[in-house]
Amino acid sequence: MDIHRFEKGWLVASLVLIVFFIATVAYVSAVTGIDMVDDSGGDIDVDNVNQHDNFSDPGVEHVGENEYDAYVIAQQFIFRPGSEPFGAIRIPANSTVNFHVTSQDVVHGFQIVGTNVNTMVVPGQISEITVEFNEADEYGILCNEYCGSGHADMGGSIEVVPRNEWNGTDGGDA
Amino acid sequence: MAYVDRRPLEARVVRVAFGAAFLFLGLGGLGGLIQSLHRTGYFQFIGEITDGNYYTVLTSHGVFMVLFFTIFFLMGAFTWALTRSLDRDLNNPRMTKYWITSMCVGAFLTSLAIIGGFTNAIPIEANVLYTMYAPLQAHPLYYIGLTLFVTGTWVAGYDWISTYWGWRSDNPDERIPLMAFMVLTTMLMWYILTVGIAIEVLFFLIPWSLGLVNEINPTLTRTLFWYFGHAVVYFWLLPAYLLWYAVLPKLSGGRLFSDPLARVVFILFLILGTPVGIHHQYLDPGIPEGFKFVAMTNTMFLLLPSLLTAFTVVASIEHGGRQRGGKGYLGWLRTLPWKNPAFSGMALAGIMFAAGGFSGMINAGMNINYLVHNTIWVPGHFHLTVGTASALTFMAGAYWLVPQITGKNLAAKKLAAVQPFLWFVGMTFMSNAMHRAGLFGMPRRTSEPMYDAFSYDPAIGTVGEVNSQIALGGVILTVSLGIFLYVIVRTWFGGEKVESPVDAELPPAMSGPEHSPRVLDNLKLWVGVAVLLVILAYTVPIAYIATDGLWSGSETYPVVVDALDTLEVLL
Amino acid sequence: MATEDTKREIGHDEFDPVGTLVLIAVYFVILVVMWIVMWRIEFIGNGPTVIG
Repeated sequence: MDIHRFEKGWLVASLVLIVFFIATVAYVSAVTGIDMVDDSGGDIDVDNVNQHDNFSDPGVEHVGENEYDAYVIAQQFIFRPGSEPFGAIRIPANSTVNFHVTSQDVVHGFQIVGTNVNTMVVPGQISEITVEFNEADEYGILCNEYCGSGHADMGGSIEVVPRNEWNGTDGGDA
Repeated sequence: MAYVDRRPLEARVVRVAFGAAFLFLGLGGLGGLIQSLHRTGYFQFIGEITDGNYYTVLTSHGVFMVLFFTIFFLMGAFTWALTRSLDRDLNNPRMTKYWITSMCVGAFLTSLAIIGGFTNAIPIEANVLYTMYAPLQAHPLYYIGLTLFVTGTWVAGYDWISTYWGWRSDNPDERIPLMAFMVLTTMLMWYILTVGIAIEVLFFLIPWSLGLVNEINPTLTRTLFWYFGHAVVYFWLLPAYLLWYAVLPKLSGGRLFSDPLARVVFILFLILGTPVGIHHQYLDPGIPEGFKFVAMTNTMFLLLPSLLTAFTVVASIEHGGRQRGGKGYLGWLRTLPWKNPAFSGMALAGIMFAAGGFSGMINAGMNINYLVHNTIWVPGHFHLTVGTASALTFMAGAYWLVPQITGKNLAAKKLAAVQPFLWFVGMTFMSNAMHRAGLFGMPRRTSEPMYDAFSYDPAIGTVGEVNSQIALGGVILTVSLGIFLYVIVRTWFGGEKVESPVDAELPPAMSGPEHSPRVLDNLKLWVGVAVLLVILAYTVPIAYIATDGLWSGSETYPVVVDALDTLEVLL
Repeated sequence: MATEDTKREIGHDEFDPVGTLVLIAVYFVILVVMWIVMWRIEFIGNGPTVIG
């Protein structure tokens, strides 16, 4: 095949670029510990989310030294907890939080605004993501997948509070 | 002799396809204007949130633009390209009539289902957006219309392939002419990629929307959708590539730099185009990370045909610029025919595609996708790709093709000359602002991106400034679109027929097919490789997802929900 | 259109698309720089991030 030498050079440069891109993804994951959402959260029966052991009383639980589990139900058009009238998801500062988010109706999204915490919430699946929070702060959360006519209202907040201001009943239990 | 006189029957089919394409372009553009003014808060006249009218507009904008406008245009352009490059009429006029009719009827039914969402007087609606994720459900008419539309394209593909077989039996030793090669490889890719949507719609969505089955597996239907939903973007893009390779060199006054590389590029799309869809599901639970990594690797290698295209097409344009007297390293850019809208539209579309390519590379990065997934960055990206690389190229192509299929001179030439530049400016405002807004977390697909619970924190600029650019961009794009439609209508329905409305000669490539190995024309081989790669990439993920059940998982949920009722039950 | 404007003929053998080479090299540099900026500033500086 007759290819101009400039184009041969560009072909090689393009392949180098592609390999560089893939390498960046792998390297940054290895160095920073960024992990992909996957099937680790397991399945759930959509019709019985409210009877599920962990989702019947969603909210934040203390499960280890600095470790917390947060169970959140996404539904048309609120997060439970997270949105009014259930109040913010309250988390103590300097903690590691394992979010378990599921939907009891349609496909939703769960994104902590202005951060890299972002996942789809698909009925029948539990999205499990681990996030480290440092000092006390406030974050917004929103649903970023169209979920019906009230989609634009589906937002809420996360309050990261000083450790001494958080207690076990304060998880934003709904 | 103009195409319309040489092949009157085919010209008529192209006119019907283009007519439908431009009708949907106009309707879809109206939707785009409404959205850009509504979600930025400048002008909100469509109903309260509770009736979901914004999402009726959004569904129509998506479906009309990316399914009907693009694919109808492709049908017209490919009919022209195939018959012109084989110098042969279509094989079977009855078959031709069938597919164009089926597509028109299908598009009409689906449009009816969508537009029904504006009124409660008829119990038909389809506020499910282009992605139609179950368990949100549309009226059966929506899915049935899409079925007729897509099966129409399948018959069209067969019409073209059988025309090629006729040519082949008369020309057993010839190389496949370049444009015919592009049409054939694109359609073979289309057969492979529509398997996903066909299974999704025929086996799951239609039975479920008719109430024959009650439940549906949302991850499975999502995965089937994205099997189709990413690869389809190449079906929007490849007609633009065909015009860039086959027509743009001529418009710039030069010749195609390399015919063999053009073939390689189309083969790469055929074999790599489909096994990438899971990259739309990087953030899906229920899909193991390994499947996502495979999809990413395939996606990144799909950059190769586009990067090669950038070189070949720009080199062909440079040849044109130098033929026209351009000197030095970049002096040839000034001698190009920027006043010819057919040229400037395609060239500007290519520049925007280079920028859209970059944001696509970010989208493709499996973990950096956390930053941008489902933010307005994503529509910012695809308005550069399908919304400009394809759409503006198609408009530019129309300035050159519509005279050929109508036998009329292009009308309002001065106005037409401005139109691609307006599109470019409007899209620069809108898309750049969308990318930036995505980076501070503003979501896509929402009527009202402002919330009570929090406010955004842009590193640069303000929310108001970003919104003003989106709205301004939307208005400029609408003006540009209006000019395009005006020029086309004036051309089509005004003026006298002339013998030769444009110089339709297409010069041969500098490096022609004789420089490429014959194996490139072995389409059976490439289809085999493509099918093999799809099987390798998708069998295990689909089997894994299907273990949760085929017709089980989620029931139906309505689009319009009285949220207060739900809350009262819970409290 | 184009044919009347043609000022000189350039054949295949003598044609080295140097302008294209310059443009594509500039594009390559932009891609690499923007890629690094996006990762370092926009992504890694945008915590918290999903780590498990």
